[in-house]
Amino acid sequence: MARHGVPVVGGSTFGALPLSLAECGAVIFSGMPPYDMWQRVPTEGVIPPYRTDAGCYLVAEVYGCRNMIFVKDEDGLYTANPKTDPSAELIPKITVDELIARDLPDLVIERPVLELMRRARHVKSVEVINGLRPGLLRRALAGEHVGTIITAA
Amino acid sequence: MTNTASQTGSSFAAKDVPSPLMRQTLLDRELIRPLDRPVIPLLPWLNVVVIGGRSITDKGRDAVLPVVEELRAALPEQRMLILTGPGVQARHVLGVGLDLGLPTGVLASLVSSEAEQNGHLIAALLAEQGVSYLSRATIAHQLAVHLSASRAAVSNGFPPYGLYELPPEVGKIPPHRTDTGAFLLADAYGAARTIYVKDVDGVFTNDPATAEGRSPELIARMGVAELMAMDLEALPIDALVLELMAHAKHQKEIQIVNGRTPGNITNALRGEHVGTIIHAD
Repeated sequence: MARHGVPVVGGSTFGALPLSLAECGAVIFSGMPPYDMWQRVPTEGVIPPYRTDAGCYLVAEVYGCRNMIFVKDEDGLYTANPKTDPSAELIPKITVDELIARDLPDLVIERPVLELMRRARHVKSVEVINGLRPGLLRRALAGEHVGTIITAA
Repeated sequence: MTNTASQTGSSFAAKDVPSPLMRQTLLDRELIRPLDRPVIPLLPWLNVVVIGGRSITDKGRDAVLPVVEELRAALPEQRMLILTGPGVQARHVLGVGLDLGLPTGVLASLVSSEAEQNGHLIAALLAEQGVSYLSRATIAHQLAVHLSASRAAVSNGFPPYGLYELPPEVGKIPPHRTDTGAFLLADAYGAARTIYVKDVDGVFTNDPATAEGRSPELIARMGVAELMAMDLEALPIDALVLELMAHAKHQKEIQIVNGRTPGNITNALRGEHVGTIIHAD
């Protein structure tokens, strides 16, 4: 993206985000939150619970962004992990409450994002799309429903 | 490029590195559980000492110098990470920020820089003994080497959540503040102890500063569940610390001591019971 003038922002350079957006229309940032050694430990185990999905969502929420699109390698959210379970079915649209109630064994998006969405002031829906299918990202950016939409209510 | 859904299943598998979590979302509880091992403590000899902003630093010379002298005297026998909170500056900037309608992530960044100021203040007073202020990035990745060169280091107690701070359930005030940041860091390092230096003797059955006609009693030692059930009007530390204690890997106890009473910090560092000890259930 360098040839288009798109910079990486992070830490103190996040302050230049509005400038970069005005100049070239995009920035790149690390989705992983900067929690580092201050990461909250999960209820069970040691894998950091707040990873790139939560980090991106939090940035979207703090800036009050219009869209939060997660580009993954599956068509959206399934009833199980489609990579390992052939009976998994795509869920085109679901609310956070329904999703939490289903208590799925696996999820395409980090569970803490669901909790964060309940507290959202701005970003009340997110969409998970398949980046391996050409054209979907463009259509999602245009507001078309092309993956799974998860809504706060 | 002719990517289709069917391709996602097979050809991309060639890029997998064989591991127990290969091709996993890291969200399947059943797959992760068997890999879990006891967590090793990284710096088991470390004492984390948290200097309250409102309770100590804001009070100036009379409160700060005796605390600093005790820390200085402890240097030959203790290795310490001294963390500071923001105090009155935080209340001020939060007040202005809330009034302007700023989001939690921006407020967290603002308050954090205020806590850093108090860190520089304490570090300046201990500079002669080789104690420096270290940035949080250094604390997270080079603390070991710094503590090999010096007996102690000072840093910002606020966790580096910044823009990525989690919005609270109610309101907009950043939930991860000094007490929580210090606790998370102490737990991640597997420190020997976390000592919160405040201006009260510990946790009281009711707040000694506001109680009228009631006789507050100091709680010497109590479990998290019992303490939370008491639903006290005022706790000298953030309640989030109590919540986090339930899942902590190493920090099963925290100690709250009165830094205005000479000898308390020294004794707490030696493992003696002064003030209030709160333990995980």
